[in-house]
Amino acid sequence: MSTFRQAAATADVAWRSRAADQVLDSRRRRRYRVSTFVMVLVVLVVWSVQVTIIDDTDWERMGSLQSVLAAAGEFLAVDWALFPSLAGPAVETLMIACLGTLLGVVICVPAAWFGALNITPYKPVTYPLARLMMTLSRSIHEIVWALFFVAVVGLGPLAGIFAIAVRSVGFIAKMSAEAIEDIDHGPVEAIRAVGGNGFQVMLYAILPQVLPQVLGVIIFEWEINIRRSAILGLVGAGGLGLVFFRQLNTFNFAGVTAVIIAILALILLGEVLSYFARKAVI
Amino acid sequence: MAGSAGRATALQWRRFRFPQSLIGHGAWIAVLAFLAFSVDHLEIPLERIPDMLGRMWQVLASRYYPPDLAYILDRDYLDYVVETIQMAYLGALFGLLLSVLLGWFGSFNMTPSRRFVYPVARLFTMGFRAVHEMIWAILFVSILGFGMLPGVLALTFFCAGFAGKLFAEEIEAIDMGPVEAMRAAGANLFQTVVFGVFPQVRVAFTGISIYTWDVAFRAATVVGFVGAGGMGWYLKRAVLQIETERVAAIILSIVALVIVSEIVSAYARDRVMRMK
Repeated sequence: MSTFRQAAATADVAWRSRAADQVLDSRRRRRYRVSTFVMVLVVLVVWSVQVTIIDDTDWERMGSLQSVLAAAGEFLAVDWALFPSLAGPAVETLMIACLGTLLGVVICVPAAWFGALNITPYKPVTYPLARLMMTLSRSIHEIVWALFFVAVVGLGPLAGIFAIAVRSVGFIAKMSAEAIEDIDHGPVEAIRAVGGNGFQVMLYAILPQVLPQVLGVIIFEWEINIRRSAILGLVGAGGLGLVFFRQLNTFNFAGVTAVIIAILALILLGEVLSYFARKAVI
Repeated sequence: MAGSAGRATALQWRRFRFPQSLIGHGAWIAVLAFLAFSVDHLEIPLERIPDMLGRMWQVLASRYYPPDLAYILDRDYLDYVVETIQMAYLGALFGLLLSVLLGWFGSFNMTPSRRFVYPVARLFTMGFRAVHEMIWAILFVSILGFGMLPGVLALTFFCAGFAGKLFAEEIEAIDMGPVEAMRAAGANLFQTVVFGVFPQVRVAFTGISIYTWDVAFRAATVVGFVGAGGMGWYLKRAVLQIETERVAAIILSIVALVIVSEIVSAYARDRVMRMK
């Protein structure tokens, strides 16, 4: 550092020494900024650990490390006898995911249409409306959506289907709207030039261009929806989640593990199916 | 003449030939049949759905409106909000630390051993991802008891799976030139990762980390529902007491917080990307 400054001084050029000062200053400022940032992070970590882990945990109830390991060990056994009775709920979970995705796609059509800047019907109103729909859909967790729909339509798969549909609108509509914004405008103008109306433009010029991309997004979301529908039973929407909760409430931990294995198998099946579906689409 | 006309109609162009077209249409018909069968199997009352949609507004207007805003501006509730943020922060931090390792070991080009470490890391990443964060929360609550520690651990596992996969993909996409140069110069495994890989993925990792924090916060607002601390516990209590106006207020507060965190994370990611 000082050799740098000496060199600048011996060169005896005023602007060069000034430039060196500036470089050193900016480096020093950068170092201060980084170290302040790191300090803030560390303080936040310490504070959070103090509040969430040390103060809030009921250490007496948890007991020694051995008792924790014993409690965890109860989940290691698998209740194989439960599997035959899991087939029905597993199929139900898959069906809730499929129908939820389908309904979500239906709701997505207007959301993507309004939310794409280049085709939105009336920009000051419809564009913010669609964006609001997408944000609301994505920001509320599926459990909360399911609670709401259980209150409205009652217990059962329908509440789960609605919850999953509404929850998946945000992502599918956002990706579709972005795909629509990126289309090539040639076909749109060609259809307009031969006298096509707005509906025909959408059907023949826009849809064919975005279809592969949108189908890919739908398949991706369907895969996630299987994961989501497997837990909606917690709030009364049926399927594997209901069995899971029942096993947990009767303290049959081996049964809980069995349900988790069934969920994993279902997700694996979904991943295999989505692999083939994606290959067929693209 | 007639023959050539017949041939012209016979030469119609088709996108798919016989076997593919059959498979394609068959798959569509199978999907539709499955969907129709599911509607039947789940006993969905289709004729009552329009009625239900009408009732939805009625329920919203009569029971969930007006939201009990005084309830969420209460000191206790705000404390819980802060705790939720802290839980998300810690969970995301621990998860990210774990996922850096998972991403390194689970990337095909940089893994220390393709035979043994790579499959194990991939398996762990997949397992963390496949199990929903609520199930992690339930498992940890039943092992460790109520409180925020199970919530932090559930979020840790969730974030490790979420970010681990993205990190691994990012590492697999790097330019191998610097890595090979480091190897040729005699650097060991650790030095290659720190000086060959890390500078290339630094910006992407920062972006992914910010996004992971955002997602973790969204999950943290509800893990309390099964007893893992945070605002979810308030939500569950209000739901069980059928205090619908409070439920509405809590949901509103969750939406507001998530939107704020989304704006902050979008701004931070934008800044990071521009620093590149």
